[in-house]
Amino acid sequence: MHAQIKQRIESTINNLAALPTMPEIASKILNMVNNPDVSFKDVAEEISKDQSMTTNILKLCNSAYFSRGKEITSIDRAIVTLGIKEITSIVMVIAAKPILDKFVIGYDLGKGELWKQGLMVANLAKKIAVMKNRKDIADVVFTGGIIHNVGKTVIAIYVQNTYNDIINEVKTKNITFNEAEKSIMGYSHQEISEKILEKWNFPPVLRAIVRYYSDPENAPEQYRAEVSAVHIANTISIMAGIGIGSDGLYHQLSSNALDSLKITNAELEDLFSKIPEMGKQIQDLA
Amino acid sequence: MSETLLNVGVAQVRLAKEPTVLRTILGSCVGICIYDRIKKIGGLAHVLLPLDTAHGTNPEKYADTAIPLLVQMLLKEGAKKEFLSAKIAGGASMFKFESNVTLGQIGDRNIEESKKMLEKLQIPLLEEDTGGNAGRVIDFYLMDGHLKVKAAGQEKIYYKV
Repeated sequence: MHAQIKQRIESTINNLAALPTMPEIASKILNMVNNPDVSFKDVAEEISKDQSMTTNILKLCNSAYFSRGKEITSIDRAIVTLGIKEITSIVMVIAAKPILDKFVIGYDLGKGELWKQGLMVANLAKKIAVMKNRKDIADVVFTGGIIHNVGKTVIAIYVQNTYNDIINEVKTKNITFNEAEKSIMGYSHQEISEKILEKWNFPPVLRAIVRYYSDPENAPEQYRAEVSAVHIANTISIMAGIGIGSDGLYHQLSSNALDSLKITNAELEDLFSKIPEMGKQIQDLA
Repeated sequence: MSETLLNVGVAQVRLAKEPTVLRTILGSCVGICIYDRIKKIGGLAHVLLPLDTAHGTNPEKYADTAIPLLVQMLLKEGAKKEFLSAKIAGGASMFKFESNVTLGQIGDRNIEESKKMLEKLQIPLLEEDTGGNAGRVIDFYLMDGHLKVKAAGQEKIYYKV
């Protein structure tokens, strides 16, 4: 363990200003959707206060990915046509892009790779939810998928400094890359992600997704399905080389996650085989 | 001569000639690089799966259809079969998975089928950088057919053509 690195990471996560900033509108909307007392008018009003968000939402509503055919020209119309949950997904795509769409040192991800992987995992996780008749979690796993790796943007610089030690730890102790991150640097990127989502005041289900997506067997029972969907989506994505970095495939494919969603071998292979087509679907969001 | 970098996506087959560099990023997928050392043209197939189950709707996705397609495209561009040779990379596996999860074996199956196809088409396989658990960024240089493989922070170069 590098005590000094651990200390530096600690001071980073304890300094809110050093963590990425999420536009306020995003957490407001996320928390509004889960509140039964909130009407769609309240949401529309909240969005309308943010001019650039409004413009961007309208653009994405009419993208090939989200469009329902008819052109949408107002936020009211957008909410009625797509529903509040889908609008939340759109807000998240817009708000997360500047945070994730960058070169990530340490993990050796070129500019845009982390972002594109977020979109791929979001899309895959949503497909898994729908496939397993869990439409109720489709939107939250989409959001969780987008931001599941956000902690990498903060911890990357320390991974850069300790990469050789981490990879040695993986090989000598036969542990996964994130377990080795924790053992060498004192923190895994999942723990950093959780801190970031705390700062953003995001709901517990999303915090559980970012914290446990690589070890879903440890997730709280009540969020196991959501965490498992993102785990499987992430695994399939990196196996296909989307968002794979210096941590490679030094991860697990959790049977616990497959069991908790009752995903068969055939379903898993089918999802993997659809990656190229999905890549085209999310192109207009990237 | 300046090099131009051309990215090859998942389930894509691309041809190029010198001085282009074909790049792709591989997990469990396999990248098959075929080169005509006289004509100095070559191509890269990035295959996701071993066997075509979609019956020809997307031949670039599968080893058993993408490799013949790549060879056919090269011959059409004037390559000669006797001057062709191949290098392959990729086919990594997840570090940990239960043996009853069949997707876990997909990397090995991709490697195996790629080799089988090359043998069937009588294209000599000169070098391979396959298996393991690392992701790979591969650069295929059409000026002389060498292949650079970057994996787990280290670079290796394969020169045979």
